Amino acid sequence: MSEFDRREFLKIIGVGAGGAAASACSDPVEKLIPWVIQPEEITPGLPVIYASTCQECTTGCGLHVRTREARPIKLEGNPEHPVNRGALCARGQASIGRTYHPDRYRSPVERGADGSISALTWEEATAKVASAIKAAGSKVAVLGGQTGPTLSALIDSWLDAVGGGTRVVYEPFAREALREASTAVFGVASEPIFDLTDTDYVIDFGGDMLGTGASPVEHSRQLMGARDARRERGRAARLVYVGPRLDETASASDEWLAPKPGTEGLLALGIARVAYDAVRASGRTPAGDVDAIESVLKPFGPDSVASRTGVPAEAIRRIGSAMAAADRPVALPPGVALTSRRATATNAAVLLLDAVVGAVGRAVTIPPPSEGPVASFRDVAKLIDAMRSGDVSVLLVHDTNPIYSLPPDSGFAEALEKVGLVVSFASMPDETSERAGLVLPDHTTLETWGDASPRPGVRSLVQPTIRPIFDTQSLGDSLLAIARALGQERAAGLPSGSFRAVIESAWSDTDFRAALKRGGEFSETGASLAPGVSPGIARLEFKEPTFEGDGSFVLLPVPSPLLTDGRGANLPWLQETPDPITKIAWQSWAEVSETAAAELGVTPGDVLSIETPYGEAKVPVWPRGGIRDDVVALAIGQGHQVGRYASAAQEGAEGRVRGASVISLLPSLTDESGGRAWLAAKARVTATGSFQRLPFTQGTDNKRGRLLGESISLVALAKGESPWAPNQGAFMAAAPHGEEHGGNGDASDDHGGGHEGPHEIRRAFDPSDDSEDGDPFRWGMTIDVDKCTGCSACVVACTVENNIPMVGEEGVLRNRQMSWLRIERFVGDGYQQLQTGRPGPQNHEALGDTDVRNSPMLCQQCGAAPCEPVCPVFATYHTPSGLNGMIYNRCIGTRYCSNNCPYKVRRFNWFDYQITGWPEPMPLMLNPDVTVRGQGVMEKCTFCVQRMQAARQDAKSAGRDVPEDGAIQTACQQTCPSGAIVFGNLKDEKSRVNTVAEENAGRAYRALHVLNTRPAIQYLAKVKREEGHGTGHAAAGPVRPEKSA
Amino acid sequence: MPQLLGVFEQPDHIAAAAKRLRDRGYTDMETFSPSPFPEVDDAVDEKPSGVRLFTLIGGLAGVCTGYALTLWMANDWPIMLGGKPFSSIPPYTIIAFELTILFGGLMTVLGLFLKGGLPSMKLHAAYSARFSAEDFGLVVSCRDRDVPEIDGLMREHQATEVSLVEG
Amino acid sequence: MTPPPAESVAAMIRPTPVTRDSKANRDLLRVMEGGSLGYFALVALAVGAMLAAGGVWIWQVYEGLGIAGYAHPVFWGAYIVTFVFWVGIAHAGTLISAILYLFRAKWRNAINRSAEAMTVFAVLTAAQFLGIHVGRIWKSYFILPYPNQRALWVNFKSPLLWDTFAITTYATISIVFFYVGLVPDLAIARDRATGWRKVLYTILSLGWQGTSKQWKAHNRTVLHLSGLATPLVLSVHSVVSWDFAMSIVPGWHATIFAPYFVAGAIFSGFAMVLTMMIPVRRIFALEEYITDYHFENMSRFLLLTSIIVGYAYAAEYFIAWYSQVEPEQTSFWKRAFGPYWISTWVMILCNGVFPQLLWFKKLRTNVPFLFVLSMLINVGMWFERYVIIITGLSREYDPAVWGIYTPSWPELVIVAGSFGFFCQFFLLFLKVFPVVAIAEVKELEIHAKAHGEGH
Repeated sequence: MSEFDRREFLKIIGVGAGGAAASACSDPVEKLIPWVIQPEEITPGLPVIYASTCQECTTGCGLHVRTREARPIKLEGNPEHPVNRGALCARGQASIGRTYHPDRYRSPVERGADGSISALTWEEATAKVASAIKAAGSKVAVLGGQTGPTLSALIDSWLDAVGGGTRVVYEPFAREALREASTAVFGVASEPIFDLTDTDYVIDFGGDMLGTGASPVEHSRQLMGARDARRERGRAARLVYVGPRLDETASASDEWLAPKPGTEGLLALGIARVAYDAVRASGRTPAGDVDAIESVLKPFGPDSVASRTGVPAEAIRRIGSAMAAADRPVALPPGVALTSRRATATNAAVLLLDAVVGAVGRAVTIPPPSEGPVASFRDVAKLIDAMRSGDVSVLLVHDTNPIYSLPPDSGFAEALEKVGLVVSFASMPDETSERAGLVLPDHTTLETWGDASPRPGVRSLVQPTIRPIFDTQSLGDSLLAIARALGQERAAGLPSGSFRAVIESAWSDTDFRAALKRGGEFSETGASLAPGVSPGIARLEFKEPTFEGDGSFVLLPVPSPLLTDGRGANLPWLQETPDPITKIAWQSWAEVSETAAAELGVTPGDVLSIETPYGEAKVPVWPRGGIRDDVVALAIGQGHQVGRYASAAQEGAEGRVRGASVISLLPSLTDESGGRAWLAAKARVTATGSFQRLPFTQGTDNKRGRLLGESISLVALAKGESPWAPNQGAFMAAAPHGEEHGGNGDASDDHGGGHEGPHEIRRAFDPSDDSEDGDPFRWGMTIDVDKCTGCSACVVACTVENNIPMVGEEGVLRNRQMSWLRIERFVGDGYQQLQTGRPGPQNHEALGDTDVRNSPMLCQQCGAAPCEPVCPVFATYHTPSGLNGMIYNRCIGTRYCSNNCPYKVRRFNWFDYQITGWPEPMPLMLNPDVTVRGQGVMEKCTFCVQRMQAARQDAKSAGRDVPEDGAIQTACQQTCPSGAIVFGNLKDEKSRVNTVAEENAGRAYRALHVLNTRPAIQYLAKVKREEGHGTGHAAAGPVRPEKSA
Repeated sequence: MPQLLGVFEQPDHIAAAAKRLRDRGYTDMETFSPSPFPEVDDAVDEKPSGVRLFTLIGGLAGVCTGYALTLWMANDWPIMLGGKPFSSIPPYTIIAFELTILFGGLMTVLGLFLKGGLPSMKLHAAYSARFSAEDFGLVVSCRDRDVPEIDGLMREHQATEVSLVEG
Repeated sequence: MTPPPAESVAAMIRPTPVTRDSKANRDLLRVMEGGSLGYFALVALAVGAMLAAGGVWIWQVYEGLGIAGYAHPVFWGAYIVTFVFWVGIAHAGTLISAILYLFRAKWRNAINRSAEAMTVFAVLTAAQFLGIHVGRIWKSYFILPYPNQRALWVNFKSPLLWDTFAITTYATISIVFFYVGLVPDLAIARDRATGWRKVLYTILSLGWQGTSKQWKAHNRTVLHLSGLATPLVLSVHSVVSWDFAMSIVPGWHATIFAPYFVAGAIFSGFAMVLTMMIPVRRIFALEEYITDYHFENMSRFLLLTSIIVGYAYAAEYFIAWYSQVEPEQTSFWKRAFGPYWISTWVMILCNGVFPQLLWFKKLRTNVPFLFVLSMLINVGMWFERYVIIITGLSREYDPAVWGIYTPSWPELVIVAGSFGFFCQFFLLFLKVFPVVAIAEVKELEIHAKAHGEGH
């Protein structure tokens, strides 16, 4: 392969003395084959953008697929799509990699009895399946994930056509409990939709709505929008979070309550009761059966609830009355992690609270019951029984990986042995397809047709944007082909033509081309009901859930914000993006509280044995302050044996499991609704004595009071007290409330690190001076720390846009990850601590403390950049428009620039990542506008300079000399769900980047500006929204004493 | 014309002899000494060596080159770096300084070669290994009839031996 | 009376053949003869170490710098540490030859030759590391201001470029200095050598025969070179120190660095001279030429520079505390008590504390003690650079990206190889060039003799 020759060549040259002479011609000689007949819609060098729909999860966000030379190179949100409005989460950003994944099946394969793999043609494969089905008669079953309505309908009709059989839809994270609760509370069997637009009081009962909830992108946007709107009126849109663990939503919340796991519902009822009294007192009446409500709420007085949940009665009363008083309150139901065996009751309690405070019909809408099959864990159990009893001779599996995601004691694996023929439609190997007799590889989202209807009024289309890379076939077409292979009489019941035709006919009631253009059919108002509380609620019993096992810890299986239910584990971009909370990549970890860790005598990295009646896992521990003492939390998603990146194959250990799977510790129990109960086991936790280095990317969350990740109270803001005004404070950022930084009695602490020191150099400056006078631009950014939830979508977007390679677990262990953009997570103002020895990772969280600052750190494009003058060869320099440019070809790799960069945002190519980092066919997804960096050069963020160039070209061809504001969006800004990042031209007074900074002047600061680096990025401090507008310190948190490692 | 070689054991003797001979008008002489003895060298010719001039020229050339090089290159293609001026003298002074030393040193060596007649392919007929041991040699060219006088003079100054240089 | 005819005089004169050679010549040229088994064993060891390092280095160029232990944010590691170490070693030679020459300290004659040799070899060794350290050795010529089609020059504001110029100049000048001083001795060797040595020395000695013109020019040249080399030697390590001092890294950005590094360089240089010369004197029985008096003088230098260095350590900590700049304070606290505390205390003990023993004349003249001490100082000085560079980088302004660096084995192999590289040259030098400046030593002898007889 040509790279190899080139590599050889380079190195020999490097070694040989003749390097100087010869390396000028060190690039490979490659032939350009011109496009003889060029497709007219493609202009080489210009992107073509297609609208589509993200299939990474069931939320159904709209996509804009940016293609170059007929190749998708980047996914971006569809700005017209009502769900995500142009933003996209980390998973969506990374999902482009599925199409170019090196693991993908190249063609249909058959697995012999001896496990031997042999490739088949589609004809053979189809024929084999057909004959098997003919033989099976009605003993055919289809097990699959949630699919688009059209495909779903096709599967149903296909099953009938081929002679009946069972179909089971299975989603590990299905929300049966919510649907059931809605049936009980409102008598409508559908999943309510929660809209936070312009809300002023949100309480999330453990749904982690901003991280792993039902629609994180949407909710982030809505919440941050509401906060903006309120803040401008000097008021707060409060977010109260209920949950045992400080997760993304808790970090963004203003108040965090941690009740006993499983008692969230009781808490909701307690709050509901207080709110109910307040509502009645104010002369309002909740819609529906008031007697039912009262009878349900009666036993839940604040004090009894307080004793049952462990939440102070004061808080219950306060929140209850606040909810009642709020003008647009909303309560959100628990998520996967908290679906206990009483999940339905819990969800019902939350919905009841919504009903009581009058959110139903406003912030909460109840769509009409959706037709078509819905995911049900109960049905899966039935199917397993059928398989076990030999009633299934052909099992077709699509869009799901039950072997991994079903708990072992469900017996699925054993039952699978009894099935005659297992056909998998997976497009890349997973645990299930590895056991399938036949694999008929499906297209990926970017290669196939399809549609989705995330909610009433929103229908969106999936369209192919690239010719299939391998010999694959879309599921729909495979099914049709199988039916036809079974003979005309059977195929007769099915649509003729391809699956595309099926989609078109399904959309025949619309202007298909227009829909394709737009990405679907979006009407703002979908059909929705506003039912009152039905008497049905009375039949639920509200009490604490039961747990299996006699361990002293409740086992909390948390969905990973990146790997979801494990489907993301084989995407290196998601593996290498640090977990937003613990900043650990490529590995599993067990979270216990620091108190518990102390009792167990473990420090970070010590391996714990976590044992439930269903299994045992050995996982390195990550002690935290932000988790209940009686809880051990494990993220779902790791623990695969299959997959180049999902398993340890990346480390050269083929077949070894990466991390641990919490699922193997869980029972296959259900709640009242038959939904899967995740929060159902107690674990016995013991220290094993062994140690495993954890690949964490941030060692401490103590910012030592340095000018990074700042925060300010709403009160101070209203009073116009900004501690960051120029010529104030010294090296340390002055404490927002003027409180002293916590000291640990160390000599240097007494001097507070030099407040009002005589050496003050932080002067005011105009960043627009820092580009050439003639130049119309000085690029800059405004980043709102208050909006950043740490979701890391920007990180993945940057990685994909800029061809940033992955370095794997070893790389991360040496902090060699290449990402140009990282999200720093600090807790509190921090303080100097001068502890001795080799410091372990440190954690300054505390239960109930939500003072977490997520501050994206990227190249600050300094006006007086320390990195520039130290480069001997001008490889990094100041561009006329004020960027801190980096010339890879010129770099000789002295690495002085990085030493001199106070923000440490420069990355070095330690190995030849451009070869090793991109196995075939991944190079196809490289962005042709961005150089792929070679071994031994430094690299860094340049505000997506390639996008600027493109926009300037467009402006020129449109006859303008400068692109108008907003025409240039950096990858990180474009994808940010909460709109925390604003990019623009600082020389243009009216540009948003300037106006936003001016409107928030009180919160604006520049990172580490005491060094007088004149950064082009302004940060807006996080806002602390104290209850009652900041009289108390509800969110400030105590000044914590140092826990030295 | 004949050359007389006197061999001495002590620097002051040969110095005196040389001085005396010069006074008598025998200017065409050469000494060999195993170690540097200024008195001997000055006795032959007290003019200081001209090497100093080379050093001076080299040094001046160096400092000029240093500043010229840096200033010109910095302004030939001015590139903005951390908001610093293109022609910043302090850092360029370091380059100028180093080049001063470099050129000065190399020129000095050139001076050594030119003034010291190095490198020379053939050794003096009168030179022998003893002069790189401990003996000093004084070679005087003269007319035949002056031989006895020089011979006498040398012995007078404790030349251990005097001989006529063959060839 | 009339003089006798010339030919009769010629007839009566008989040239007498050279019988006696000077003792100095015999003793010192003997060093160059033959070579024991031990000697060749040492050569094999040195060359072996160098070849091993070479192999690892080629692998590194092929695989990438990743095989070294670098961990973000510590982007400079053992290579730069060793670079600075060798540059430091390179300072004793020129100091002895140049500065002591200007001060007319005659005792230098015994050691200046070997010290100069060490200077040359140490600079060459140090220069290797500039290449080993960079990410793209095959593009490293970019650092030279050569005319190119991009019309792009180099950045003279970068301390690394100052480095390039300083190191090149220093290498050139010290080689020249070394050679100029060598010429008269090469002539001595030429007059006594046979075979290939005869050829070699004839060429190298440039036809030197000690005429007055030659000596005049030679004296003047040595004087001027000393005059030039003195500021140079002070500048070189200042420039190297500015690689650090010019940055904004806490623990690096200090005005004290230039004098601090120069003192340290002289300190380590003298230590290395002792480490090398004590065995040499012993093996080749040169006690007569290199006396304890010389060693004592050197140890006086050690004592002086050790005090300066120790003062610099103290000053750094004082300023860190006094400045009240928190990152600075943290950085220095971490030095003493953080993950790198071992290196720091090794440095303080070896460089600041142990040398204080030299206050005692008994120890100054105790050669085995001096040998051990010089070894310790070499270690201490390597760690000094390690402490400055690594701790500085590992604890910078952004606590979120603090990192820990530990050298990997390939780095250590290359570092070890550099000692082999240095030693092979030195061993070669012992056998090819007079290890003591014969002509200058003889000058003293003859003076003494003259003084003994005359008047």
